Amino acid sequence: MSVLRLHPQKCTGCLRCELACSYMQTGEFQPAKSVIRVSPFEGHTSYAPYTCTQCAEGWCMTACPVGAITINAVGAKDVLDDKCVGCKLCTIACPYGTMFYDPGTRKAFKCNLCGGAPACAEACPTAAITYEDVATADWLGDFAVERTARVLAEAR
Amino acid sequence: MAARHLIIGGGTAGMNAIRTIREEESEKSSITLVSAERPYSRMVLPYYLDRSIAESHVFTATARVLADWGVTAHLGKRVTALDTAANTCTLDDGTAIPYDDCLIATGSSAVRAPVPGADLPGVHSFWTLDEARGVIAQIQPGSHVVMVGAGFIAFTILNSILSLGAKLTIVEIAPRILPRMIDDTGAALVQTWLKDHGVTVRTGAKVARIEDAKGKKRLKFASGDLTCDVVIMATGIKTNLEWLKGSAVKVNQGIVVDDYLRSSVPNVYAGGDVAEGRDLISQKPAVHAIEPTAQEHGRVVGANMAGKNVRYRGSLIINIVEVCHLDVASFGAWDDAGAEAASGVKADRPAYRKLLWRGDRLTGAIILGRSGDIWTVNDVGMLKGLVQSGVSLGRWKEYLKKNPFDVKPAFIASKTTSTLLPETVLGRPSKAPGETPVAV
Ligand SMILES: Cc1cc2nc3c(=O)[nH]c(=O)nc-3n(C[C@H](O)[C@H](O)[C@H](O)COP(=O)(O)OP(=O)(O)OC[C@H]3O[C@@H](n4cnc5c(N)ncnc54)[C@H](O)[C@@H]3O)c2cc1C
Ligand code: SF4
Ligand code: SF4
Repeated sequence: MSVLRLHPQKCTGCLRCELACSYMQTGEFQPAKSVIRVSPFEGHTSYAPYTCTQCAEGWCMTACPVGAITINAVGAKDVLDDKCVGCKLCTIACPYGTMFYDPGTRKAFKCNLCGGAPACAEACPTAAITYEDVATADWLGDFAVERTARVLAEAR
Repeated sequence: MAARHLIIGGGTAGMNAIRTIREEESEKSSITLVSAERPYSRMVLPYYLDRSIAESHVFTATARVLADWGVTAHLGKRVTALDTAANTCTLDDGTAIPYDDCLIATGSSAVRAPVPGADLPGVHSFWTLDEARGVIAQIQPGSHVVMVGAGFIAFTILNSILSLGAKLTIVEIAPRILPRMIDDTGAALVQTWLKDHGVTVRTGAKVARIEDAKGKKRLKFASGDLTCDVVIMATGIKTNLEWLKGSAVKVNQGIVVDDYLRSSVPNVYAGGDVAEGRDLISQKPAVHAIEPTAQEHGRVVGANMAGKNVRYRGSLIINIVEVCHLDVASFGAWDDAGAEAASGVKADRPAYRKLLWRGDRLTGAIILGRSGDIWTVNDVGMLKGLVQSGVSLGRWKEYLKKNPFDVKPAFIASKTTSTLLPETVLGRPSKAPGETPVAV
């Protein structure tokens, strides 16, 4: 299956992915409703986008008591709104912190790869997010180690 | 001859086992389910109570689905005895069912505090669908509900009661609320929040008796009686294992199981609330009585019944509850007195975190905050990931002790994702709920 491959070195922190994602998912330009999130590193001198890995276990899916999370046609774990009761078990079961909950609608939501045409990858001007047929991986780990060295040294 | 699997209890663990047998087996086996109730999810009953879902939504498999999965179902029947020498179980109607292997997943029941009057009509428990129906029929807008007990289950239905327009009073015999979910500091914050939201909480209050009072109920205390319309006793649960007395299956706090979820009788498995399996953090045997443990137990048992040899790593305690738009969650060994603990609060808002450490590994966490804040930051799952993976946090430990509200950089830079990605419960990618093979 294709996944979102993240290239943190290319991210400028422009947040277009967040806007595109929230618009695609909810029809509103509201980063708080986005399921891809840009995090700052090294005191806001570097940025990187972060989202669901579409992990093999699918902890969110196996935790749902009512089977409201399924696998869609492109292999993404996807929440079925009319089945979700809003119990939040998936949000604490996903160990990556990439299940979201909307207190307004009382539903969980997550990255469903926009059914195969991810709006974030489309919107990113520097190709820091690409949609590729590769195995999912820890795209940010090495980058984050390097870009947190100073913060970490100061924290001691 | 194809294997004959017997599943006793059609709740979370039982249904997960059935689905996994069908996913894993290479040759179609025979599956018999005996369950005192139709298969449904107890933990979504609060959403039925507040009427945000219809009753039909709670069921996890209809008769039609069970038939599709090729399950012979005895619903509304109880198992009364298990003969592990003859490999047969007996039902309350006298039917005897032979098996090659069996899963005991009979869950728990609510228990009421031994208070005179606790068995009066109009005094309720809230654990089964029938009990939920009883409560739903009684609560009207403006009803005064008294909840006896301030544990996790009481809190799972608190929002629903309030959203029905009822007035709520909580009485708790212990000096504090939520004793098995958060620490004293967290509990005090929740109690203040409840007061600010119009819920009366009386701690250290022992109900002496419950009486009928002209169509209402009166709860007598050493001082200050309460009169109300509905009483809900959320005073604890016990495992449904009385029927197993006298069998060869070893029971301690729950049924003692090995890492394959086998009991002391090798072809008898146990899972969910009745099983005393390994706790992931302490690595000691424990009865968890939470949904995710029942799900994982059920899946591991299903795979092993289907001939796989899946070793289970152990269950992680995870809990979350919302109280009037305040979210409270805890993970792992949050109450480990031997752990190194560091906590943080925010001055301008209700926000509390406690992180517990063994060496440089996070072994437990408590998170409390306004829903708006919690779901904007959205790092609750990352704390679960740090506890679950047990990654070595090295120098990030000091950082997190000082900055417990800034988890993301520590999570990402500790390469927690790399540790987590290969982890699966069954050693393979999970299948979607709708993908269970049809057996007919
Ligand atoms: C209101 C409420 C809210 C909850 N909220 C949460 C939550 O937010 N998070 C969480 O993690 N957990 C929650 N739980 C707990 C969770 O529902 C249980 O831990 C889970 O259901 C346990 O699954 P189980 O398979 O062990 O047992 P159950 O799901 O209880 O299933 C047991 C089955 O066995 C049947 N049975 C019993 N005795 C016999 C017998 N002798 N013969 C045949 N069948 C029998 C029962 O009828 C039932 O069908 C909640 C529970 C309730 C009641
Ligand atoms: S939301 Fe979390 S648990 Fe679910 S598929 Fe994505 S990474 Fe896995
Ligand atoms: S919040 Fe919705 S999708 Fe998540 S576990 Fe609960 S019912 Fe399932």
